[in-house]
Amino acid sequence: MRIPLVAPASGVALVLALAGCAPDAAAPARAAERFHAELAADRGDAACALLAPKTADRLPDPGQSCADALRELKLGPGGAVTEVRVWGDNAQVRLAGDTLFLHRFGDGWRVRAAGCEPVRDLPYDCEVED
Amino acid sequence: MVLRHGVVQTVKWIKENSLSLAFLVMFLLALGGQAVAGTLDLDDQQRAMGDQPISVWEYVTSSSFAVDVAENWQSEYLQFFLYIALTVWLVQKGSNESKAIEDAGAESDEEQRIGAHAAPDSPRWARASGPRLWLFGNSLGLVMGLIFLLSWAAQSVAGQAAYNSQRLADLRDPVTWSSYVTSPEFWNRSLQNWQSELLAVLSMVVLSIYLRQRGSPESKPVGAAHAATGVES
Repeated sequence: MRIPLVAPASGVALVLALAGCAPDAAAPARAAERFHAELAADRGDAACALLAPKTADRLPDPGQSCADALRELKLGPGGAVTEVRVWGDNAQVRLAGDTLFLHRFGDGWRVRAAGCEPVRDLPYDCEVED
Repeated sequence: MVLRHGVVQTVKWIKENSLSLAFLVMFLLALGGQAVAGTLDLDDQQRAMGDQPISVWEYVTSSSFAVDVAENWQSEYLQFFLYIALTVWLVQKGSNESKAIEDAGAESDEEQRIGAHAAPDSPRWARASGPRLWLFGNSLGLVMGLIFLLSWAAQSVAGQAAYNSQRLADLRDPVTWSSYVTSPEFWNRSLQNWQSELLAVLSMVVLSIYLRQRGSPESKPVGAAHAATGVES
């Protein structure tokens, strides 16, 4: 698990570096695990409730529900958390079977993208994204 | 009577420190203004993304604010460090920012009033010898240089945090600190500040040859010759 650490170099640096303080990596990990647990239990509506608003809006085709769209994608099992990287209000959670990107909203962490595959140094190619 | 004496003393103190006080007040106002304007700017971007609004406190403790502040601080302190250090050895004929051509270098103990040549009111360390005298004799440049390095280090830490947050938002892997400090983003932030500071110093050195500001110690006396160098105003 990699969390940004800050080595304040002085009083000035300490104040400036507050921004980089180690955030809570457990919360996005829990949100990612829960998202995959809901999918595995075929609770599409509950999984959709964990998506970021824009992601949930863009996912379904016209006339389709978010839950149906998720079911159609047939995302594989998530599995155990292998790595969490949190920077500011954004996080990347690697599970054994998936990589997810999350954003912290006022009411907690939500999934912005899931079913993601790396594409060299380009943005990940994701089955679900905003 | 006592109250009046206190007021007079306060006014005298303010007058004697007016330059520092004016810059301190302007600095705090500008920093506060940056915090408010930055919050409104980020808030605008957040709303466009369907995100919740952010408070001024959230913004001033964010990596975005920290990197913006630090990158400007480091370049200002670099500018003054270079200026203090280089003007010991380098001169500019005709410039008020330069000492006389023949004075280039660290100058003699007598000219610097150190050691046996120290005056009764000289600082205690000016009468010392060895490392203490060296340290005090270079303290201005050393402190400016140290603040530059600390601010630059803070920029690298806060910059990495802001950069990685954006990379995650763009669905990309975050980078390590060593990758960040060798990245175009870090050097672009640093160099764009350095070039403007260096241009400002160059302008000051050259323009003070030909232009005057009556009453300012940063200018030669209005009637001084353009070629006059190291003139006390």
